[in-house]
Amino acid sequence: MGDVMGDFAPITPTNECEEHVFIAARHMLKALGTSKNVSDDLRRLLADVDTHLSRRTQITANMIDVTREVEEQLKFAQEKIMRWESNTSTIWASGPEKASDYLQAVYDIQRLTASLRSSPSSSSGNQKELLDRAHSVFQMAMERLEAELLHILAQNQQSFEPEYLSFHSCEEDIVSNVSIVSTEDESIGNTSRRDSSGTESEDHIVDLVHPDLISYIKSIANVMFASHYDQEFCHAFTNFWKDALDGYFFALRIDKLSIEGLLKMEWNCLNGKINKWIRAVKYVIRVYLAGEKRLFDQVLGEFGSVYSTCFVEASKGPMLCLLNFGEAVAIGIRRPEKLFKLLHMYEVLADLLQDVDSLFSSEVGSFIRTEFHELVMKLGDTVRATFMDFGHAVALNPSTNPCSKGVIHPLTKYVMNYINTIVVYACTLNLLLDGVQDGAELVPFAQNISLDNFCPLAHHLRSLTSYLEHNLDDKSRLYKDSSLKHIFMMNNIHYMVQKVRDSELVTLFGGEWIREYTAKFQQHATSYERVTWSSALSLLRDDGNTSRKSILKERYRGFNIYLEEVYKIQTGWFIPDTELRKDLRISISQNVIHAYQTFIGKNSSVIGEKHINYTADELENLILDFFEGSPMRLPSTHNK
Amino acid sequence: MRATDNQGSFLNRISIRRNQVVSMDGNHEQELEDLELFQKHVADRFSDLLLPKPSSDGDSPSGADALLSIAWFRKLLDAFLCCEAEFKAVLVMGRDPAQFAKAPLDRLIPELLDRAVKALDVCNAITHGVEMLRQWKKLAQIAVTALEQRPIGEGQVRRAKKALTTLLTSMAFDEKESHHGKSTDRNWSFGRRGAAAANKDKTAGNFRSLSWNFAKSWSASKQIQAMSSNLIVPRGGEPTGLALPVYVMSTVLVFVMWALVAAIPCQERTGLPTHFPVPRQLGWAQPIIGLQEKIGEEWKKKEKKGTCGLLEEIQRMEKLSQGLVEFADGFQFSAETDDMAAMVAELAAICEKMEEGLVPLQQQVREVFHRIVRSRAEVLDVLDQVGKLSTPVPY
Repeated sequence: MGDVMGDFAPITPTNECEEHVFIAARHMLKALGTSKNVSDDLRRLLADVDTHLSRRTQITANMIDVTREVEEQLKFAQEKIMRWESNTSTIWASGPEKASDYLQAVYDIQRLTASLRSSPSSSSGNQKELLDRAHSVFQMAMERLEAELLHILAQNQQSFEPEYLSFHSCEEDIVSNVSIVSTEDESIGNTSRRDSSGTESEDHIVDLVHPDLISYIKSIANVMFASHYDQEFCHAFTNFWKDALDGYFFALRIDKLSIEGLLKMEWNCLNGKINKWIRAVKYVIRVYLAGEKRLFDQVLGEFGSVYSTCFVEASKGPMLCLLNFGEAVAIGIRRPEKLFKLLHMYEVLADLLQDVDSLFSSEVGSFIRTEFHELVMKLGDTVRATFMDFGHAVALNPSTNPCSKGVIHPLTKYVMNYINTIVVYACTLNLLLDGVQDGAELVPFAQNISLDNFCPLAHHLRSLTSYLEHNLDDKSRLYKDSSLKHIFMMNNIHYMVQKVRDSELVTLFGGEWIREYTAKFQQHATSYERVTWSSALSLLRDDGNTSRKSILKERYRGFNIYLEEVYKIQTGWFIPDTELRKDLRISISQNVIHAYQTFIGKNSSVIGEKHINYTADELENLILDFFEGSPMRLPSTHNK
Repeated sequence: MRATDNQGSFLNRISIRRNQVVSMDGNHEQELEDLELFQKHVADRFSDLLLPKPSSDGDSPSGADALLSIAWFRKLLDAFLCCEAEFKAVLVMGRDPAQFAKAPLDRLIPELLDRAVKALDVCNAITHGVEMLRQWKKLAQIAVTALEQRPIGEGQVRRAKKALTTLLTSMAFDEKESHHGKSTDRNWSFGRRGAAAANKDKTAGNFRSLSWNFAKSWSASKQIQAMSSNLIVPRGGEPTGLALPVYVMSTVLVFVMWALVAAIPCQERTGLPTHFPVPRQLGWAQPIIGLQEKIGEEWKKKEKKGTCGLLEEIQRMEKLSQGLVEFADGFQFSAETDDMAAMVAELAAICEKMEEGLVPLQQQVREVFHRIVRSRAEVLDVLDQVGKLSTPVPY
């Protein structure tokens, strides 16, 4: 718009009356000069007077002309501006031509004011009055432009909604509220994690106002800056966008909550709020503020650092509000179930660090930058502490009642599902856990595996499983029946191995770990067999004492009673894994059936066919009832 | 706890060692000495705030860091940070965590932590309030710019008046009605367009962003009340152990938060107590009591009129703005501009002070916020240790 500030138009005489007097006088002089009766001296004098007169005429005419001209032009521009005072629609609504016409009028007044100020006689009454009038009209125009600015901003603010705003998933975030303890074999966090990714179009920068308007807004900025009304412009523009962002918080359903309120909030409720917050943070920083900064640059870019100052002003309050929410979560009570959400928050924020650094790269933005970095660090600390606490909690998990049927303890499921979920955050956790002592003082476990080749997370996870193993060992002591103790340990360790082997955990734990723990549960299987069956088998063994019939009969009877007892108890035990169950039965069969067959084959004649309760095949079938979890009874036989 | 139970864990062993050290007599004396020193430092720091030392260039005491000025608050927050650091040293360092689990600390520490959390919210409200002060400063600056021009005409006066009216409207946010009528602002009514109402609000300067930053129910005065309600002097004539420093620090914290809320625009301040009881017989408390009385008086005076805060600069800004609006209203009839010039000069000086002081003040408030967060975490860590000790590690 600077092009309209051209030079003054050429001055044309207007005050006819004065002009005529001077013209008449000069005519007289001319007439005298041409007369023959005039002496040379007089002629010279007359010529001087003529020159003098002509110069005076010009000066006076010029001065009067300027004032009149200014007055004319001011009147013209004033009319243009006043015309809009009573108009209830925006100037912009009447078309770009009218708008530039209005701005032209403002520039005209500005130019006229300047010329009035610089004019030597500006203190004279008429001049001062004009200047006053110019200022008043000018102020009117500035007020009008400020109002116009706010109005067209409000009218043309793009209502772009992130896709997720349209569905109502955030309110009841059922999936991620599932308690880890109650989960069976499905993983806990996988479903809740990054539930929003993919639905967001956060890569493109949005236009906060319709692009057609940018040039008009910019021309308002230009004229207000040129008129030294930059303070008013910045105030209005900045506050508008501060409000707009506040409004978006509302749209994103971000409540303004006190830290105290957040700390007292139930986890389920807080969890839902965190989901909303995560979406809002990503969206606000990557999309909204990026768009806002571009807009500020487009409108104010040519005025130097003003644009970044205004941008920071407009976004500082809302950013602090977002950051405070993060602070509240970071200082909340540490609980294991929070870990995944904390990790998610941490990853999202860490991922945004670069965006924040570039958004707030200016000196004035350093406040927000620092706060953001600090929050990321704090969340990292909280993640670390929560993870370490989890290890302690596992090690110290109280053992009160034995698990019925020797099945997998909820703690085992919890821990294994927990660490299974952790895997997706492996990179982050490796960074955060690097150099952290794994709390090995808690459990002096014998670590047979060299850990040098493993990442920090692998190291910590192995500690964790070792805490678990020790705790399970504690729990197994609650069983009075030592056979069941071994079944319990076998079941649980087998479950651990299976969980590791069938998931991404396998890469973290490695083959060596799997071999070691497989050996452990197999050892428990062997121990079980020994404890349960060795005494029974000894009854069937030919130890040279079997020659007497009564002893043989007694032994066979003893075996049957024992079998009946074991059958009654161990059919009630449960091995959830079918393979494992099958394997153990086969192993039992191999030992017991073989011994039984041999015994029967050798002694059936002695005992008498009618006293033989089962064939080997029947016995094998009985063993198939073991570990099915429903106690059964053999028809009482030993009374026969 | 005796060293005979050798099966103790790593943590147990550490605490046994600590316990032995703490229970040694020399250390106890050291502790008492530290406590004494802590109280003395609190007294000294607040005496400086009560009676600022006259500066070397002979400034009057009401000069650079007059009571309740921005400069004074910066000193106050400095004092708070110093006291806090010292307190933490007394409370946490070299301390046997087990003490935290015993009376009276088992009650006092949770109370302390609760106060800390409330203080965090107050800090945030204040940060927001300072942001609002910066807005006010910008509006005042516009008026100064307009009225410093010569020759002065109706246009400039009108410009100044618009800015000042917006400023005063914002200052009287709580009682909008009384100021709205006086406003001579052009309220553009761009009819037929849905946003007209919102727009009208904005031209009048009532930006929503100037509203508060918490849920409506949050009240600064209630927070202060809650923080001070359980502030009880350790009983008995021998204030030994940790109960006393916890009390001292809590008093300091409540005082600082109270003063901030009284001075800086803050969400819901009606019913802010004019004082909270601090027993006079405690030596360290004298300067705090003195300050409390002075500020309490100011608060009583201002509360009746409706207030935008006791901050010295703001009070003067409000008065000058009113004066200048009056001047503007009578401008056509009076060419007398000397008074006006003096007022403008004073307003300009205030703007400059605010320009220099508000951002650092805001950062300091944030520093206090982070400090409280950190200290709270450290205390929680100690409690955590206590928790782990009370559940013996089975291995």
